[in-house]
Amino acid sequence: MKVVSQILVRIPLILWAFIVIFPLIWMFMGAFKSNAEIFTSPWSFPTDFSFTNFERAWNDYNIGRAFLNSFFVTVLGSFLTIILSIPTAYALERVRSKFGEVLINVYLASMMIPSVLGWIPLFFLLMKLNLLDNLWALSLVYAISHVPFTIFILVGFIGNIPKELEEAAVVDGMSPYGILFKIVTPLIKTGIITVTILNAISYWNEFFMALILLQTESKNTLGVAMNLLKIDAQYDSAWGVLFAGLCIAVIPVIIFYSFFQRHIVKGMTEGAIK
Amino acid sequence: MTFSSKSKYLFLAFCLLPTFLLFIIFTVYPMLGGLYYSFFDWSGTSANKTFIGLDNYIRLWNDSIIKKAIINDFFFVFVKVIGIMTLALFFAVALTQLKIKEAPFYRIVFFFPNIMSVVVIGILWQFIYDPNMGIVNSLLNQVGLTEWARPWLGDKTWVLPSIAIPAIWAGIGLFMLLIMGGISNVPKSLYEAADIDGASEWQQFWHITVPLVWPQIKTSILYIIITSLNGSFVLVQVMTGGGPGSASEVMGSYLYQRAFEDFQFGYGAAIGVLILVVSLITVLVSQFILKKEKVEY
Repeated sequence: MKVVSQILVRIPLILWAFIVIFPLIWMFMGAFKSNAEIFTSPWSFPTDFSFTNFERAWNDYNIGRAFLNSFFVTVLGSFLTIILSIPTAYALERVRSKFGEVLINVYLASMMIPSVLGWIPLFFLLMKLNLLDNLWALSLVYAISHVPFTIFILVGFIGNIPKELEEAAVVDGMSPYGILFKIVTPLIKTGIITVTILNAISYWNEFFMALILLQTESKNTLGVAMNLLKIDAQYDSAWGVLFAGLCIAVIPVIIFYSFFQRHIVKGMTEGAIK
Repeated sequence: MTFSSKSKYLFLAFCLLPTFLLFIIFTVYPMLGGLYYSFFDWSGTSANKTFIGLDNYIRLWNDSIIKKAIINDFFFVFVKVIGIMTLALFFAVALTQLKIKEAPFYRIVFFFPNIMSVVVIGILWQFIYDPNMGIVNSLLNQVGLTEWARPWLGDKTWVLPSIAIPAIWAGIGLFMLLIMGGISNVPKSLYEAADIDGASEWQQFWHITVPLVWPQIKTSILYIIITSLNGSFVLVQVMTGGGPGSASEVMGSYLYQRAFEDFQFGYGAAIGVLILVVSLITVLVSQFILKKEKVEY
């Protein structure tokens, strides 16, 4: 009886694992195939593993440039998010006041409001400031858009630090700035890492704001470049190249995730979001 | 804090002000701006900006594509809530309760689609549905169901379910993790007691697991509703652009097309306000429906 139920419960698990993995394998194999091969034998292994498709995607279809742009935006955006969120999270957690309550609710409420609503004014604001088509500005916009979520997570982690540590530091004559940067920040390292991983993944994958706020091909990030590659591939029927482009966009995140998945799971299950 | 009040306020200002200023400029101002622009007829240049009062909203009311888009948006909300929650709950219970050795493998794999960009997911599934080289049709042909094969994304009736499937595919991992977190906080002794009392696994699920992880279930459902209304248009825009015709149009994709393709920024802003109103009402109503006292044994 136990054996039967053990097998029965595995059927949906294996089936779903297959449904998740199969498209990825199919994409990966397609990246090594020629057009003719993709049409005639979509199910088989590629006959020879040539990297032509990857080279063409990287060089001829702007994916290389876009890869570097995405990397830049992801790193700068994640860094800015943390820099902007730690001091606010600390002040809001430690100095409880009416004003602080209002502020924290404003940040939380903004997470409920669809960002689409703000895109048109944001576009014209950046146009006025001459910041359209600017990767630094895009990073800043990304960072601000994730500041409320990041503050929300970090407040939880700061709340777990015993107050005595800070009080002892005050007795030793440490300034509040010193306490914030030398004592509190190192102690919430786990929280910072977890939230930064989540932020970085969503900046790497972001598409629509980049589509609206970037304009020249040399500035495009991966999402926008992939969307253009898709349109080009339809005209050139460069399907193998498109598959290769998809791989270039996905593989770094999968590797990154495999390294850090423990942190994500931990942050997700241990108190961060409840 | 025991510092002099002046230096304390200086420190607080240092902590709070820069972030809040940037937040005002890049989040609050655009959102209020969206409301403001919705009362104008505006093609993007300052010369062509005229105040037209509620005309954009009257146009919204009479726009048949908007009605279609709202219905489609709710189709996605409904199908995603049912599909994601059923599967995520099942997987979460299976992976935590049933002592499966290779559980970490499934946990990692099921999360893969969550880390992929919507563009990548959209393009990948466009291929899967492709009439000539896609997996779906060639599978149907191989098992002899040739008459079922069709251009899934080009078919007015099938396009919506065809987009909903990748949306569910991509959503499960995150909510499975959230619910697993909830289940791991349920005291083991409850299940042991239930075992002794002879409660079946099914009864344990309904009478212990569901009530005790209800906060996580509720949060997940609300989160799916919000992200679907505010974000499912990305997948739509990538996979079909709202087509064929306007069969798969949702509010967000319609906003993008009107504003950034047709340069009707005032009308686009009005659609943005509509999205806000619809999602706030939906969240409030769902919160009311899902209201259930927190259970503690």
